[in-house]
This record gives sequence, structure tokens and C-alpha cells, in this order.
Amino acid sequence: MMTGRKVNQILRLNPIYKKELKTGVRTFKTSLILLGYNGLLALFGLFAFYLTFEYGSRYGGRVNYSDILQIYAIIAATEFGLVLFTVPALTSGSISGEREKQTLEILLTTGLKPIKILRGKLASSISMMILLAFSSLPIMGLVFSIGGITLSDLGAFMLLVIVIAIFLGSIGIFFSTLFKRTTAATVATYGTLLILVVGTFILIWAAVMLDEIKFSTVNVNGIYQPPNVGNLLLVLLINPAITCYALIEAQIGTGSNFISFLRNFGTLSPFIEQHWFIISIMIMLGLSVILMWWAAKLLDPLKERKHKK
Amino acid sequence: MLEIKNLTKRYGKFTALNNLNLHINPGEIFGFVGPNGAGKTTAMKIIAGLLTCDTGEVYVDGIGVKANPQEIKKKIGYMPDFFGVYDNLKAIEYMEFFASIYGIEGKEARDISLRLIDLVDLTDHADSYVDSLSRGMKQRLCLARSLIHNPELLILDEPASGLDPRARYEMKEIIKKLHEQGKTIVISSHILPELAQMCTNIGIIENGKMAVTGTVEEILAAKGSMGPLVMRIGENLELAVRILKEDPRAKNISILENSISAIYLGDEKEQANLLSAIVSQGVKVCCFGRESNSLESLFLQITGQEDREGGSSK
Repeated sequence: MMTGRKVNQILRLNPIYKKELKTGVRTFKTSLILLGYNGLLALFGLFAFYLTFEYGSRYGGRVNYSDILQIYAIIAATEFGLVLFTVPALTSGSISGEREKQTLEILLTTGLKPIKILRGKLASSISMMILLAFSSLPIMGLVFSIGGITLSDLGAFMLLVIVIAIFLGSIGIFFSTLFKRTTAATVATYGTLLILVVGTFILIWAAVMLDEIKFSTVNVNGIYQPPNVGNLLLVLLINPAITCYALIEAQIGTGSNFISFLRNFGTLSPFIEQHWFIISIMIMLGLSVILMWWAAKLLDPLKERKHKK
Repeated sequence: MLEIKNLTKRYGKFTALNNLNLHINPGEIFGFVGPNGAGKTTAMKIIAGLLTCDTGEVYVDGIGVKANPQEIKKKIGYMPDFFGVYDNLKAIEYMEFFASIYGIEGKEARDISLRLIDLVDLTDHADSYVDSLSRGMKQRLCLARSLIHNPELLILDEPASGLDPRARYEMKEIIKKLHEQGKTIVISSHILPELAQMCTNIGIIENGKMAVTGTVEEILAAKGSMGPLVMRIGENLELAVRILKEDPRAKNISILENSISAIYLGDEKEQANLLSAIVSQGVKVCCFGRESNSLESLFLQITGQEDREGGSSK
């Protein structure tokens, strides 16, 4: 039987999370982020509407209703892009900021375990992302005025936003623990994001190039050999943009375009191709757990190590 | 209450603590005295679980810091020499935040926070934002914060640093109150007269080693009459100062009108030789002798001796 004290402990909010929420809502920065996030999203949403209806009927003479789902794709992609840019900014100063403010030492002398400090920090940044995602629902709701997207589609997209927030958030927190200065942590976090989104793609592209050079002799003999980078293609599973594309393409189409896109580079097992979204978010969550565990080790003063400047 | 055994800590080639040993009984106020870089803060950080040591062990109430750091943290309240505060938190919220870390919530947290805020005389500022408080108030709030979980041992690293005399006096009074409540307190400070008044025991640390420990009276008695050397000069004050400066045993020379005061590390024979040298050069000396001993002169004497023995100069 669980004692009352244990139940209380489970129900009790992480003190760091509670404090971050309290101080977060008191700052002008939070209001500004909300305004900027939704303002940009609304701008892109209305622009997509204008392109589909007003521009289409005025200059094309007709509105192609099969293109309407593109509005959803544009709004979702914009929101996803904003998540990619916002999360590192929210998390890369979480621990280094405490260090710079000289409050980290005090926290570490309390009974709070390092992992609990990190969990509180991550939870507060995810809360911020959930707040942003929920505040953007009226804009996302624009697509319901036309139809074609179900609530479960929207739910899957929200799940992606939360998983990406956790993944990028744990990268930000890891670098914030590793580096003494927030500037260095921010640069490292955005650098890693760039590697994940662009770097993995460049790696595949380079492998395809090498593959094409290798098989050019075969092509001379008249046998076309499509490039195949093999299992290296799996590296795209940690590319948030590719996973977002996989989800949106499956929602507004059949998912076959995404599979065709992958086959430009090589072939994977049909299971992976068809369950890309689930496999990708599971891997990202797994990496997040590893990064948080690692960051907790780095933060523990009794497991001493040298900080990078 | 606190036992330090053979504590050694190195930063690369620099040895911050060199086989440090210390024993502090429950209810004591122990003054940790030492020059900058002597190892005071390093020792305090190891006790508080913020640093690992290379060898040795720290026991708080019989529990090893290495073996059970989480248990130790419940017994210790730590106030670092430099600390920051959270913007956008009121003093009472700051206290409640730290209370919640120790699992104290709701009305209990508020009651304890208000009681401690009252103890450090900040009741009128309970609803003020922390970043709007003066430095002295922040120091007192930080002290109140370190008491939130009712620790048995308080580690205060330079609690009065940067405070004006009034704020220092207030801090001293709070520490006295805490002592009356039975807390064991380890305090480091550079303001030696205040430490001498407050502490039941002191320890002078030099180059990572405990040079001497005991009550102020015991240490002063054991070290003999080595108070500052004071001379009143009738004529040729500048020449007397020059002769004194040339003597390697003379430290901290200060001049006030026609009087010279210095910490003199020589024995009585060397003192007599100095007087002969000054007089033989034509300086008219009206008065020559040592003042009664003080913690400050003792500190300079001990740390000065270490300098000479180590062959380094400060």
C-alpha cells in the first residue's frame, strides 16, 4: 500500500518546474514570444489562404480544391519551423544561466538531485511549447473551415511538436550543462540542430554522389542502377524535418510521395518506410533520455569533471 | 558534529588542501581563518558536497559525505561567498521555493518562511522582489534560506563580505541568535576581531594545512606575547621606517603621526637588536614595545611564519 506521504510526493510538482512557470509568466519575454510565434503563424496561414483562393481564382480563373490541403501543410510546416527555432533558445541557457547567475551552487547544496533539476528545466520548456502550440490552435483551425484534416491528424502533429520539443530541449539542456557560458551552449545547440536538419541530408546526398560515381561504368553498358546508400539512410530518422515531412505527407496524401522521396537515395525495409514517424519519434525520445542522463552526470558535483568554457 | 580526516584536494599541480584535519563539536561556532587561497572555500565546498576530495573523508554527525551525500545535505545549510538571486521572485516566494525543494509545502512552508524572514529582520520586505533588496538584505535572506530545512550544521563562507558596518553587526547578531538555538556553525571571515568575539573556537588554515586550532584565548596564550610592535619616534621617523622595512621579520608596517606599528616575527633578542640598530643610526626613540596580543596579529604571525618557512613572499 502506498503511504499518504508517497502519494503526496508523486502528486507534488517539481519545485524547479513550478518556479520556472511562476517566473516565466511574469516576464515580458513570454508575452513577446507568444505574440511573435502566433503572429508569424497567422501571417503564413493567411498568405497560404490568399494563394489558394484569391490568387488562384483571380489569375488562374479557378480554385483547385485538391490544393486546399496545401494550406495545412504550409501552416504545419511553419509551426514546425518555429518550434525548431524556439526550443534551443528556451533551453540552451537553462543550466548555464543558473551558473552565470550564481544560483546553481545553492541548488546543488539542497537535497535536489541533478536529474530533478534538469527534468524541471525540460518540463518548463515543454510547457512553453505546449502553450505556444495550444495558443496556435485557432490558426491551425483555419484548415477545418475547408475540411480534409481530422482531429487525430492534428493530434499526431501536436505529438510531433511535443516530441521535437523534448528532443531539442534535451540537446539544449545537455549543452547548457556541458558549457559554462550560455553563448557557447546556444551556438552548440543551434549547430547541432543544423547538423540534424541539414548535415544528415548532406551526408546522404554525398553518399548518393559517391554511389553514382561507382556505378557510372555499369550505366555506360546500358543498365540503369539507381543509387542506394543502404542503411546509411537510417540517419535521416533523427532529422526532425524529414519526420515532419513524413507525417504531413501521410496526412495530406497517401505517404507514397515520402517513400518515393526516400527511394531517390536508397531502399529500406518496407516496415521502416511505412512506420517512419513512429520509429523516428521513438529514437528521438530514446536519445533524449540518454542526453538527460548524461547531463545529470555532468551536473553532479561529486562526479567532478572539467567544464568547457 | 563535523569531522574532517586527512582531506587533500589538488587542482593540477596546486595543492589546495594538504592533509587537513579538523574536529568540531555540536553547538560550536568555529571560525575558519586563513589568507586568500589558503583552502577555506575549498574545504567548505567539500563539506557541502559541491566538490570531491582526492583523499580523506568528511563526516557530519558520523555520516560520510562521500558515502551518503544526499543524507548530509539534509543536515547542512550552506551559504556561499558569492551567490545570486532569482529575478521576478519575492522574498517570501524565494523562501517557499527552497522550502518546496525540501518537501515543505503550503501553510507549513509559509509559516517557516515567515518565521525565518522575521529572524533575519526582513519582515517588512517579505513581499519585495529579491532583486530590489540591498546587498545586506540579500545576504540575510540567503542566510534565512540556508535555514529553511532546519539544518544542524551551518556552513557560512564569508557571510559578511561586502557589507557595511551596520549590516555586518546585524549579521553578527543573527549568527549569535542561531548559536543560542544550538546550531553548529562553521564560518569563514576576514574580519578577525568579529570572529574573535563570535567564535567559540577558531582554526587558522595556511597552505591547505590547519596551522592551529583552539579557543582564541588558548591560541593566544600558547603563542606567547607576539602582539604588534609599536614605537613612538622623537626624531628621524623616516629613517626608523626605512630600517624597519629592511628587516625581513617586519610585516604590515603602518605609520600614524610619530608612531610606527608593525607585526614583528622576531624573538626578544632580535627585537633588542632592532632597537639597537635604530638608536645607533641616530633615531630618537621615545617608546618601544609590544602591544597586547590580538587574533589579527596572531594570524599575521602564523601566516607570516609560513611565508618564511615556505620561502615565498606575500
